Amino acid sequence: MGVSQHESGLQPGPGAKRAASGARPGSTAVSVSGVSKTFWRDGRPTQALHDIELGIASGEFVCLLGPSGCGKSTLLHIVAGFIAADEGQISAHGERVTGPGVDRCVLFQSPTLFPWLTSRDNVLFGPRSRGLDNEETRGRADALLATVGLGDFKDHYPHQLSGGMRHRAALARALINRPRILLMDEPFAALDAITREQMQNFLLDLWQRERMTVLFVTHDVEEAALLSDRVCIMSPRPGRIVDIVDIELARPRDEALRDTAEFVALRHELRKRLASA
Amino acid sequence: MSASPATEVPGILRASSGAARHWLISIASVVAGLIVWQVAAQFVIRDPVLLPTPVATVGVLIRYLGMPYPSGGETLIGHALTSLGRVVAGFAIGSFIGIAIGAMMAGFRSFRAVVDPFIEITRPLPPLAFVPVLIVWFGIGEAPKIILIAAGVVPVMAISTAAGLDGIPGEMLNCARCLGASEWYTMIHVRIRAAMPQIITGMRLSMGLSWTSIVAVEMIAATAGLGFVILQAGQFLDTSLIFAGILIIALLGLGLDACLRRLQRHLDPTMRP
Ligand SMILES: Nc1ncnc2c1ncn2[C@@H]1O[C@H](COP(=O)(O)OP(=O)(O)O)[C@@H](O)[C@H]1O
Ligand SMILES: [Mg+2]
Repeated sequence: MGVSQHESGLQPGPGAKRAASGARPGSTAVSVSGVSKTFWRDGRPTQALHDIELGIASGEFVCLLGPSGCGKSTLLHIVAGFIAADEGQISAHGERVTGPGVDRCVLFQSPTLFPWLTSRDNVLFGPRSRGLDNEETRGRADALLATVGLGDFKDHYPHQLSGGMRHRAALARALINRPRILLMDEPFAALDAITREQMQNFLLDLWQRERMTVLFVTHDVEEAALLSDRVCIMSPRPGRIVDIVDIELARPRDEALRDTAEFVALRHELRKRLASA
Repeated sequence: MSASPATEVPGILRASSGAARHWLISIASVVAGLIVWQVAAQFVIRDPVLLPTPVATVGVLIRYLGMPYPSGGETLIGHALTSLGRVVAGFAIGSFIGIAIGAMMAGFRSFRAVVDPFIEITRPLPPLAFVPVLIVWFGIGEAPKIILIAAGVVPVMAISTAAGLDGIPGEMLNCARCLGASEWYTMIHVRIRAAMPQIITGMRLSMGLSWTSIVAVEMIAATAGLGFVILQAGQFLDTSLIFAGILIIALLGLGLDACLRRLQRHLDPTMRP
């Protein structure tokens, strides 16, 4: 695997407070500073996020790991621009986030394909909505569908695809816009174990080739360890980033990694830190 | 396994697909119904005023297709076209208003609170109850007839439109936005598009309702229309003509529903085989 002892897979986190400036060298893709969010329902407040600091370098793969209900989705939706933070600032590639933008594409737990469109028309939705339907984009849509293994399913409707295929179609639909940042909200959580592993491997491959910035939300320790360069561990509500762990497993990573002693130890360590968060 | 006796079916059924099989059974059921009707009318009731046979009904239907009824009036084809015109006009106007109200209900919470009680009150009311008051308000021309049909359509369309628009997951709208669609584009191409199958379902329901109220409508001083024919024939105990009128209403209703079903299949790929 190219990594010596299993200790080296894990570097102690530098601590949450340093995070905003703690993006790795290179340009900053996402910067979140001092973000808090409280939801009000029936006059009762739920504080979902408290003073979040997070910096993500361009091309970095960062996981948000935390228990269910700790505010991971809320943070992702704020970065996506779907909801506004009560306090704090978010910027993407230096520009303040004030709403959704094509530079940041979100993938949800359900693939949310448009059921009335074929896979190909789903992929073309983004360009068409911006009046960019031409020979070139159509060619790119076909190429992307082939990349995600749906070359023979271009004219199929979502209900005719399997769960994994739908997720791959959703990925192709996101990638056609060439987003610099992918925001993924537990995208594989609803899949069966085998399909989930396939999708994780597929994502590793894709990231290795494209090197886009990814913010990936999960509550699965193994998934976080396998995919990320850095894992941000969140505390239960109100969500705060309490620990940041650098994952220094060599890349490219693949299937075989899952069974190495190094990986198992890393998983164990992450689980321990999550429990004490 | 496949040779087990339980799955043995006649060749024609076994060879066909599920849909074709469904059709065959339905057709057989209609034929059986007609035979029971014929036998009951001919050998059990034996009184054409109480119950004409299907053969006699079709005979009357064909005879009056080209012959005026009552003398000096329209032919059956003319009556059918008159009723069809009223139903389609009332349905179109009612759908338009109902869809607009439903869209506003989905868009504005307070608007929904305002119209909800009216919809809940008017929905179960029988159209017949409004006939006298509509005559007082709008006279005896075409207007009260079309209004009566439209009034039945509006609440049904409003409810199904609002439900269709409400039923779209927020994630799908967010998804469209982050793929680059403007709010306007998302409204038309995602929100309304996603609600279309349910809106068409509402249309099928209200098309049925429109035919249901045609007899009530044509009690309003009508001189033509299938409801008028049925009422008129009833006064002369011409039962076979009543049945002929009912048969035409059934066929027209089926035909219009088939058009809407086609549209629904076209708009909703999950309904296609
Ligand atoms: N729209 C909302 N209205 C009220 N409360 C919400 C809303 N969205 C999320 N919350 C609350 O905020 C907390 C964090 O939610 P979420 O970000 O979805 O958590 P996670 O994705 O980590 O499971 C939860 O307690 C949830 O109930
Ligand atoms: Mg969540």
